[in-house]
Amino acid sequence: MSMKKKRIYHNPVGVRKSTGLLLIAPFIAGFLLFTLYPFVSSLFSGLKISEDGQLGLDNFIRIFHDKTVIRAAAVTLKYAAVLVPLKLIFSLLTAMLLNMEIKGIGVFRTIFYIPSILGANLSVVIMWQYLFTSDGLVNQLLELINLSPVSWYGQPDSALAIVVLLRLWEFGSTMVIFLAALRDIPKDYYDAASIDGCGRVRAFFRITLPLLKNVIFINLVLQTISAFQEFSAPYMITGGNPMKSTYTIGMLIYDEMFSYMNPNYANAVSWLLFIAIGLIIFIMYKLTSKFREANQ
Amino acid sequence: MKKNLAEISVCCCLFMLSACGGKSEASYTQPDGSLDECTLRFSWWGGDDRHEATLEAIELWNELHPEITIVAEYGGWDGWTEKVSAQISGNTAPDVMQINYDWLINFSKDGLGFYDLYTLDNLDLSGYDEETLLFGEVKGHLNAVTVSMSGRGLFYNSEVYDSIGASYPETWDDLLALGATFESYGLYPLDLDIQTGGTAWYLAVVYVQQTTGREFISMDGDLGFTVEDIKAALDFYKSLEDNHVIRTVQTRTDEDGNAALYQSAEFISGKIAGVLEWGSAIGKYESVLDEGVLESGPLLTDGSGNSGGWMIKPSLLYAISADTEYPDEAAEFMDFLLNNEQCAEILGTTRGIPASSYAFNHLSETGQLDGLAQENSIMLSEADTVNVSPYMELTRMKEFYNTAIEKVSYNAADTADAAQEMYDSITEYLESIK
Repeated sequence: MSMKKKRIYHNPVGVRKSTGLLLIAPFIAGFLLFTLYPFVSSLFSGLKISEDGQLGLDNFIRIFHDKTVIRAAAVTLKYAAVLVPLKLIFSLLTAMLLNMEIKGIGVFRTIFYIPSILGANLSVVIMWQYLFTSDGLVNQLLELINLSPVSWYGQPDSALAIVVLLRLWEFGSTMVIFLAALRDIPKDYYDAASIDGCGRVRAFFRITLPLLKNVIFINLVLQTISAFQEFSAPYMITGGNPMKSTYTIGMLIYDEMFSYMNPNYANAVSWLLFIAIGLIIFIMYKLTSKFREANQ
Repeated sequence: MKKNLAEISVCCCLFMLSACGGKSEASYTQPDGSLDECTLRFSWWGGDDRHEATLEAIELWNELHPEITIVAEYGGWDGWTEKVSAQISGNTAPDVMQINYDWLINFSKDGLGFYDLYTLDNLDLSGYDEETLLFGEVKGHLNAVTVSMSGRGLFYNSEVYDSIGASYPETWDDLLALGATFESYGLYPLDLDIQTGGTAWYLAVVYVQQTTGREFISMDGDLGFTVEDIKAALDFYKSLEDNHVIRTVQTRTDEDGNAALYQSAEFISGKIAGVLEWGSAIGKYESVLDEGVLESGPLLTDGSGNSGGWMIKPSLLYAISADTEYPDEAAEFMDFLLNNEQCAEILGTTRGIPASSYAFNHLSETGQLDGLAQENSIMLSEADTVNVSPYMELTRMKEFYNTAIEKVSYNAADTADAAQEMYDSITEYLESIK
């Protein structure tokens, strides 16, 4: 019989164990009340199939026959498939520009981050209306260069495009993560490559990208989760119109919960979205594992 | 640690399962006939004029009943349903609430979602006729009392109409004929929407109700229209678009984005010269134009004096929370809001024309009943109106109407297919919720 070795914890500040527990108590209480409780509660709600609390899988089965859910899922997938790669590429290119050592670069970095602070709020919605309504600035500019005005809000694809554009415009957080990673790459690598006759493009693919692979993966995961949960941008800008072409799963959950007063079904859809996001991230993790491990 | 987590999970599960029970009549706090010292919460939505008047009325209440403190909870309409929905679900609803008509279906299908006002002696209902009271009744329980009745009417920008020498339409044919005149000036005589207002389907329903004499949906939630009636309504809507009476959905979306009509440049500039709106809510359109520019137009008829089909409903109701601990006090406060003459004078028509005869008579005697809301109310009282079913107002139902209108407008479906789809959706939904 082996003796279990007792762990010894170092206590540099000389406080009792209970003091530590007391200090983290607010977080634990908050976590239990505002995260764990709603999390478990929503599962019960999703399983609830009658007023008297009977549980079953009816709500989950209904999802697969609900044309509105299937259409919203298709819109969400399309939205994520367009937005995520565009945002990663745009953020990385901007981060590379802002990584240059020029005078006043800090000001530029701040300016580029401002759209992320604004979010999809009322002022941004009004600005988008000034830009994209039929008499808006964008159509006026198009007419100046003899191009036909575009029905931005009125056509399904262009309506989705202006929602994507809003989120693309808010690239600050993704860019900051890339920028931090770029600044961690030693300059010596580029100097050495340059001496060996390596051009800038080749250096990007051979040095920058391999060294950013983990950060790219983190940004990919964060942006995918965010895109699948999209609610506020289409809600504020297009209201899901026209013809439900910008109606995401996030909007559907909101409508089921608050507009149609159907919380059990809304929670069931939420759980399915949670599982779908988990699966997609897992697949991404597996698909990219070789690439991420190759250059360790 | 694992044991602790398991214990926490079990506690959470038990707590949640315990919250799954429904409300029974026995769980109401019973009235005791006395007014005790307490604090009541009163919630409402509206614009600034309503907020200011209501806060002033609460001050008057505080002078009359210093032992009962009223805590005001108020805001704009956007997000209000969601807020109250969360409060009711969490059993934290205010004691007295201003509620919307369809909330009776959403929150009180069995009549137990709000306090039964028939059981409260402090609320004087003698100022109401039976028909008006019935609007707030669910399964024999009086869940709410109508604050004001309202109906949609047509309102026009008089400056624009005068400038092109057009007259306000009196019949459906007049309306259709106006399109060509306005088109030559690059204007529209009217606008209908498929957003929160949902006026596109509303006007089409009025038209078919008037021509067929059938009600769209009964008060009990039975669909009165046939597939052919729905098709006729969609055909009528499409003819309004085709005759340049209203903008197509695409044009409207392109020009206004997701903004409400009264906030749009097209309405403020006069390009859109007419609107279909509740008499109790027309103030927001009036306020963006010069004073006196917006005028009330006649309710459209078929030309042979048939003014049927136009609809009325309670614009607002007051209810008492089923969870209140102070039913007597809440009833006393509600009685003050509905029937007290001084209170009526302060509130004026900020919630429409009062349905309580006490408040109405006092405002009438003091000359406070005027304006577009009153004109609209008189016109509707003279017409052969239909009561709006609360089922017609449900958000899910509006989704069915808007989907069909949008498909017809975008030519994504012909009116026959869109009508069949709407009929099937409505029938299935109404069966599922009744």
